[in-house]
Amino acid sequence: MKTYLGIDVGSLTTKLALLDQDNRLLTAVYLRTQGKPVAMIQEGLEQIRDQMPYGADICGVATTGSARYLAGVVTDADLVKNEITSQAFGAIHYVPDAQTVIEIGGQDSKIIIIRDGVVIDFGMNTVCAAGTGSFLDHQASRLNINIEDFGQQALQSKTPVRIAGRCTVFAESDMIHKQQMGHKTDDILYGLCQALVRNFINNVALGKEILPPVVFQGGVAFNAGIVKAFEESLSTQVIVPPHHEVLGAIGVALVAREEIEASGNMTKFRGFSISQANYHTSSFECKACPNVCEIAQLSLDGKVLARWGGRCDLWERASTG
Amino acid sequence: MRVGIPHAGNIYIPFRTLFRELGTELVVPPPNNQRALDLGVKYAPEGVCIPFKLTLGNLIEACELGADTVLQAGGFGICRLSYYAKTQKEILHDLGYDAEMLTFDVSQNKLRGILQLIKHVSDNAPWSKVIPAFRFGLAKVAAVDDIEKIVHKMRAVELEKGTANRIYREAITAIDEVADHGTLKRVVKDYSEKLYQISRNPDADSLKVGIVGEIFVVLDPFSNLDLEVELGKLGVEVKRAIFFSRWTKFSLFLNPLGVDEWKKVHEAAMPYLKRDVGGDGWESVGEKVFHAHQYDGIVHVAPFTCMPEVVAQNIMPSTKEDIPVLTLLCDEQTAKPGMLTRLEAFVDMLNFRRKRIGNLKPGVIK
Repeated sequence: MKTYLGIDVGSLTTKLALLDQDNRLLTAVYLRTQGKPVAMIQEGLEQIRDQMPYGADICGVATTGSARYLAGVVTDADLVKNEITSQAFGAIHYVPDAQTVIEIGGQDSKIIIIRDGVVIDFGMNTVCAAGTGSFLDHQASRLNINIEDFGQQALQSKTPVRIAGRCTVFAESDMIHKQQMGHKTDDILYGLCQALVRNFINNVALGKEILPPVVFQGGVAFNAGIVKAFEESLSTQVIVPPHHEVLGAIGVALVAREEIEASGNMTKFRGFSISQANYHTSSFECKACPNVCEIAQLSLDGKVLARWGGRCDLWERASTG
Repeated sequence: MRVGIPHAGNIYIPFRTLFRELGTELVVPPPNNQRALDLGVKYAPEGVCIPFKLTLGNLIEACELGADTVLQAGGFGICRLSYYAKTQKEILHDLGYDAEMLTFDVSQNKLRGILQLIKHVSDNAPWSKVIPAFRFGLAKVAAVDDIEKIVHKMRAVELEKGTANRIYREAITAIDEVADHGTLKRVVKDYSEKLYQISRNPDADSLKVGIVGEIFVVLDPFSNLDLEVELGKLGVEVKRAIFFSRWTKFSLFLNPLGVDEWKKVHEAAMPYLKRDVGGDGWESVGEKVFHAHQYDGIVHVAPFTCMPEVVAQNIMPSTKEDIPVLTLLCDEQTAKPGMLTRLEAFVDMLNFRRKRIGNLKPGVIK
């Protein structure tokens, strides 16, 4: 059986998805990155190998997410794709007539505008991580609430309080202020959901035409409070597709299948043995010019596979030669 | 007199030529780099735009190298450039560098002002020396721009990525060094041929992306994080309207044929913006409208907090000439991974769009 593997290494979580040639999801893995992307890719590959059906043959591998280049080198992927295109492919796969995609992950949030199955515009948060998963994570732990229970508890709110959502620093002090005034935790939580949605609509989605069907994906779509706040704000139903947390990995696997089938190439994938391999990452400062770039390098068994991070291609060329 | 200049793209090349011809000592600070930016960020007001910070860093480095006079652009425009020279002079003074600040004011005195300034820094050289030196400087501006236009094409289609860029760097050094018109012509011809001979991808049908925006960040690869090189790696042919040769032509009235392309650009912007908003904001809107049917998309680059470009940024997406625009804001906080993600997604989007429009209305995109 021909299968295609998508790997999405984000700031907070690492996702892997294995599709068959009819684009059906065979198995998916969802892990916390914990600041160790390479180890988590290895761990994820091991889990995929354990879970994949007998006779599955990997015919294509593609990577996405903020560590897509690193993941591409580690696995020798056939394709490295940005997360906007990958998320759009994932959304269209489950909701073919989608016109708006909202994706909120650990560190970034994006909006993708689709018409007739083609991306026509997109926006990403720029200078601020307000309203992304890591901030919700932080607030949940401060209030001693399990992040998994955040959404359900927010839904209990009857009279949400107004929280300043423009900036996480102000949002946090506002939340503490409201808590010290004696407001209920449920109301503060839902107030925070509304604030984050307001921030998203006013910044990331600024000037974009949001038409239904609206698809909401990424890890934060687990949070029922945020889903409800989006529905209230947009006055439309918000669809959270199945496997929304691994849609980037599914999307990039779809792109991989399309490209591999079009080119007829064999996959370059190193094979599952790399989950046991001895990867080593390190960095140094280049002293060739006053820019003093920080060069990161990845080596396997002492042999340098790739270097990156420079303003020029001095070290990139040195590593491939 | 030891004259220090700030960097703006390759502008140091005509300056070096001009000063060499006139025998005045020129102090060119190190090419834009992290240290210059750090110095600028440290001593400039926090919210000021990146051209101010970088050129301040350059002037500090020039003073460290012994410049006793520094040059800076000035004017009475609507943007902050009008304050650059005065503010930077104060900052240099506070740091203990009492360099004389000379400004060349392009908005008022045009060509005459520049020539008088050159005469002044060359210790009152005769006009018979100043004018040929100035013309040779302009010839070098044109030479650099001619080479860049070819590089824009070749980066998109070269088989081995980085080749065009390597030849480009050699060409720039060669142009910088030549000492007479004849050799300059030959150097440009040789390097043009070298560039055209790069082995290309035979099926490349490059996307064409226009780059518009504020002139400094458009022309300075350090502040726009090598935007043109990165687009080239993604197989995109860059179409840039802003070149120093074009700017000198129109800003200094060195336009023999009297064809004012800027007028056309301003007319194109008219339905959406009826006046100059400072800097290059009016032109950004006009370029987008003017080239909407020739390009696949537009990348708009602007310094963070740049008022003229913020005006343009908000107008551009809503003109009826429907062509995708990606705005990239540059400052010392801008990180390359974020920029690359956006560029890659933008290029994917343009490829899908071309497939679709190409099928519906063949011939719209040339």
